[in-house]
Amino acid sequence: MIKTERVLHLKSCVGRKVRVVREHYLRERVPCCSSLCQADCVNDGKLLPGDLTHYVVPDVAVVVDYLEILEFRELQGIIFTQTACQALQNKNRRYYNRLRTLVKDPRHDCVLFANEFQKYAYCPREKGESQEKWQTRCVYSAAVWYYNHLAGMMNIVMITEDPEAVAQFSSLTCGVYVISVQDYLQSFWSDLQAAHELFSSISQAQQETEGDDGEKEFPEHLPAEVLEAGIKSERYIQGTLNVNKHRAQNEAFVRPKNFSTKSTDLTWDVLVCGRKNRNRAVHGDEVVVELLPKNEWRGKGTALTDGDEKTGEDNESTPLPTGRIVGILQRNWRDYVVTFPTRDGIQSQSRNSQRILTIPWDQRIPKIRISTQQAEALQDHRVVVRIDSWESTSFYPNGHSVRVLGRAGELETEVQTILLENCIHILPFSDAQLREMPVNSLEKPWTVDPSEVAERRDLRDSHLVFSIDPRGCEDVDDTLSVRKLPDRRLELGVHIADVTHFVKEGSLTDLEARSRATTYYLADRRYDMLPAILSADLCSLLGGADRYAMSVLWELDAESLEVQEVWYGRTLIRSSYQLHYELAQALLNGEQVEVLELANLGPQERDSKVAQLTEALEMLTHVARHLRAKRDRGGALELEGVEVGAQLDEERNITALVPRQPLEVHETVAECMIYANHWVARKIQEAFPNQALLRRHPPPQQELFNQLVDTAKAKGFTIDTRSNKALAASLDRAVDPQDPLVNRLFRMMATTAMSQALYFSTGAHPQDQYYHYGLALDRYTHFTSPIRRYADIVVHRLLTAALDMERGVVSGKAPASNKEVEEMAHHINSKNRAAQAAQMRSTALFQCLFFKERDPQTDPCCVADAVIYSIRDNGVLVFIPEYGVKGPVYLKNKEGLVVVARQDGSCDWQGGTVRKCPDRITTTSSCGTSTFKLFDHITVRISVHSSTCHADRLNLEVISNKPHHSAKSQQPSPQGRSQLVKEVVRQNEEALAQEKTARRPKLSKEEREFRQSKTPSLYSILEEIRELALMDLEMASRLPATTA
Amino acid sequence: MAGLELLSDQGYRLDGRKATELRKLQARMGVFTQADGSAYLEQGNTKALAVVYGPHEMRGSRSRTLHDRAVINCQYSMATFSTAERKRRPHGDRKSTEMSLHLKQTFEAAVMTQLYPRSQIDIYVKILQSDGGNYSVCVNAATLAVIDAGIPMRDYVCACTVGFVDETPLADLCYAEESGGVSSLALALLPRGGQIALLQMDARLHQDHLETLIEAAMTACKGVSKVLDEVVRQHLQEASVLTGE
Repeated sequence: MIKTERVLHLKSCVGRKVRVVREHYLRERVPCCSSLCQADCVNDGKLLPGDLTHYVVPDVAVVVDYLEILEFRELQGIIFTQTACQALQNKNRRYYNRLRTLVKDPRHDCVLFANEFQKYAYCPREKGESQEKWQTRCVYSAAVWYYNHLAGMMNIVMITEDPEAVAQFSSLTCGVYVISVQDYLQSFWSDLQAAHELFSSISQAQQETEGDDGEKEFPEHLPAEVLEAGIKSERYIQGTLNVNKHRAQNEAFVRPKNFSTKSTDLTWDVLVCGRKNRNRAVHGDEVVVELLPKNEWRGKGTALTDGDEKTGEDNESTPLPTGRIVGILQRNWRDYVVTFPTRDGIQSQSRNSQRILTIPWDQRIPKIRISTQQAEALQDHRVVVRIDSWESTSFYPNGHSVRVLGRAGELETEVQTILLENCIHILPFSDAQLREMPVNSLEKPWTVDPSEVAERRDLRDSHLVFSIDPRGCEDVDDTLSVRKLPDRRLELGVHIADVTHFVKEGSLTDLEARSRATTYYLADRRYDMLPAILSADLCSLLGGADRYAMSVLWELDAESLEVQEVWYGRTLIRSSYQLHYELAQALLNGEQVEVLELANLGPQERDSKVAQLTEALEMLTHVARHLRAKRDRGGALELEGVEVGAQLDEERNITALVPRQPLEVHETVAECMIYANHWVARKIQEAFPNQALLRRHPPPQQELFNQLVDTAKAKGFTIDTRSNKALAASLDRAVDPQDPLVNRLFRMMATTAMSQALYFSTGAHPQDQYYHYGLALDRYTHFTSPIRRYADIVVHRLLTAALDMERGVVSGKAPASNKEVEEMAHHINSKNRAAQAAQMRSTALFQCLFFKERDPQTDPCCVADAVIYSIRDNGVLVFIPEYGVKGPVYLKNKEGLVVVARQDGSCDWQGGTVRKCPDRITTTSSCGTSTFKLFDHITVRISVHSSTCHADRLNLEVISNKPHHSAKSQQPSPQGRSQLVKEVVRQNEEALAQEKTARRPKLSKEEREFRQSKTPSLYSILEEIRELALMDLEMASRLPATTA
Repeated sequence: MAGLELLSDQGYRLDGRKATELRKLQARMGVFTQADGSAYLEQGNTKALAVVYGPHEMRGSRSRTLHDRAVINCQYSMATFSTAERKRRPHGDRKSTEMSLHLKQTFEAAVMTQLYPRSQIDIYVKILQSDGGNYSVCVNAATLAVIDAGIPMRDYVCACTVGFVDETPLADLCYAEESGGVSSLALALLPRGGQIALLQMDARLHQDHLETLIEAAMTACKGVSKVLDEVVRQHLQEASVLTGE
């Protein structure tokens, strides 16, 4: 038993003042987490390096107010004291959680010291001493303890905001310096400009918050106990606030967190109308609502608006449950990108010119008040801000600026904005991370390790391994093999790059990959999950090179193709052919083609090799057909995706997009990957029934199909949505022979109705929920693209652990627990969602930039054919197949004019009325009536609606109710897309080149830093095209198999 | 009180202990001369006084007499000043009655009652200050008192509570931890044979975790038994010095 000592603590509890005595145990040995430690502390985990000039011990007030500054990675050797942590915990839970992740993150050089449990660092609170003074004294004594503990080998700097403390302690102990934050930053980090700016911005915000009174704009929030009791008694409803993007001022919804069983009428979201009722809640907050009496219920607007809010009489749907927010359980504030208004905007806002109302980029966020002295300089700039508080006396929340992104409207600024708004923070790979990487250079080529050869199954000579990818693919993470075995069996093999061999769990690269979770593809660039040395070289299963792989080999019966045996394991392979899809298909079709790898062989030898390869491909196709048929019988869905391929010239620039012929070989590869994923899922689920990472696709909610079913009815089709099989069959039937677009639109609508596929831990869900609706498999996971997805890395580790378990090898570390896996799954899911959103945004950005360059009145590019797919009160929603754009078209504008078509089809605006029916919308004016029906083709003009504060939007205007015929529409459809990206990139580069001389060098440096690949890679194009079609994640999982 | 962090990332609990560490345990035997046996025990800030009378012949209703063994009569009470807010009744409320019953069951399992047929043993326990783990403190105090009375037992009965936080069992909960919404388990053990005299659990817990929790409780109880053993030996030594042997 450990020797302990007891100290008394006084504490007053709720209600009456109660004197509570608490024990407090002190010990001599508390780990100091420093590599300089002389006293053999039991330090596990992070260590502070010994080669710094000093360690920093921040005071309580500093941690509470300036934690953001301490988050800079440049600041090293930070020791957080337990005293400060506890103070932070009581004050601001959100920041406390951030501090916790900070301390856990090995990339940050900071540790937590439990000073209150250290015998010599602890000082009891004296009678009459104020809490702040006592805390400061505690922190100081911790600093002194550190100095003594490290035997004076390291200077300790304590930073505080309390001038008295500086005066009192600064000369008490030599080697322990007590200075203020400002002095500290100036003397030690004078070149860290960002930290200085942040400091002044925070301290300004701090001063402003004091002395702010006035009448209340909002009712106060109820105390937490009342809320909790109210939720339990079902008087209040708890949920997440979701602001309507198009009516951000007025409409917001709260999705109840847990549907209570008793009140069955509450299966729908609760509407929160107006800002008074919203009561200072911000989009994404966890809030508590109280339902209003039924006579105050309102409906939601059904008319199209463009966010201006001034439309006057809105039509409303039937009343929905309406409520008002009475309290906020959890703020979910993140960093927001805002735009500083131009000068004339400033005048009217505040009596104090230092306070600026800035407009967030995200329309759902209210304006944020910033106090700054740089308002002039920051006009029209995009700035990252954080919200600090929102008092009930203030109409707007208060915040402070964190860093400046750049001038609004510039490409680089806009792209950074998109990343930030989706919470994607990407720093370039650090040196420490890159040092972990193996080397592969000309002088020092990377070779296969003989000890690994002994451990792995060597398939280099026994198997014919090849990869099929899009042309010019760099990171090949999957290869295939197939061969005949004796006794009437086939052996099918899928070999995946063995990333986990290079990326050890817990290494810096692993942590970085985990926090990125996926490779981000934007329209013009991509951010890799792994450093290039891995993703494009050592992990990439290149042709003719020895590579480590993780393989799944099935032995199939040659006749029935039933699985006889499965083998999983690590292998060593050498890919013989690096094929691309067109080539593979040509081989299958028996055409004469050049195979690159065989170019310098004699004709006979070449013929025999080609024959061998072709035979393998044929066998593969045969197997894949069988697998596909089996899945189809189970009810697998085929949803809409615009299929295009890209053509590259020698410099790997995209010259054109051609519609990809739906080659069978695509499906063949995809099918093999799905099969491998499925079998690995089975394996890890059996080995770890409670902690395997799988992927499920929940069946969609039936209500979401309503639009699809109704629309189809208007066209005369019936869609059966009862099961995935019925849906697939009825979608296949719903084909209009005159218009192939109809079926595409149906499939698109079906896709939007689908729920998203998600990663999950098997311990967190009952087994009947493992089902994958889209692929019709009972278990599924991601295994085949570890270079681009972190989930696959996790699955690889699980598989390795399962194999080790089978062989009876005790691996060093137990696999992650259910809780950890579930947390990881959540993290990856949210990152995937962010990646997708960012991708979509960046595509939209490029669309806008493309059309911005053109004059909508004259340029033929801006006139396009569109199909109506939904009818609204004052307009229609259309889809433009040529550009893959969806958007609203107004038939009635704000002045009350309506669109009327003349005899020849051209339209113009006249006074009149609009009448809406389920399947048509009719406009009537003095000149006659015109009708727009579902699936009508109309001609629209595309222009850009630009805005300094928000993202630019495309504006569609109907110019004719006849289909648009131009030379272009004869061409295969989605062509403008690639040109668009290419052109915008080119223009931007030109602009940059011109400006480079004029501009500060800083910007071009950023350019180099953030842009990892300048030319649009094939990946980004394909990924982006996938996005266009609004394919859901699921299809996405299949497409990568074809692209990667 | 959703905010309390019962186990920090560094592995410290609210009062600075690690997960498996017990509170400071101090005890004295033979504090009263009037009674046949008595003991005072402090476990952290929880303090209890136990007194044993007997074995003696049945008092009160003779109908309860058992012909093959002794009857054990327990009474648990809490001093009105033992909690932060003053209690109204020291004993006789539902909680105390339940606790008395638990004590009775525990000691029926440990005391060799068959040696004293048709007689009665009274155990009175009073909590002077309550800071969590009342049941286990009572059991530990009563054990010492029974030993002091010279009544043969199969073994020490040692009790300890364990809680379950963040997949980690916490030994010997204090009041702040008990009220922090931890699912806790109380266990009374005969350490030498490893037999469980009583196991009580009111909260929900996943079946998979029960094993580890019981394991942790047993380890904690063995720790307690070591301390108790020391106290008894110390007491014997003092007593033998006094009697001049």
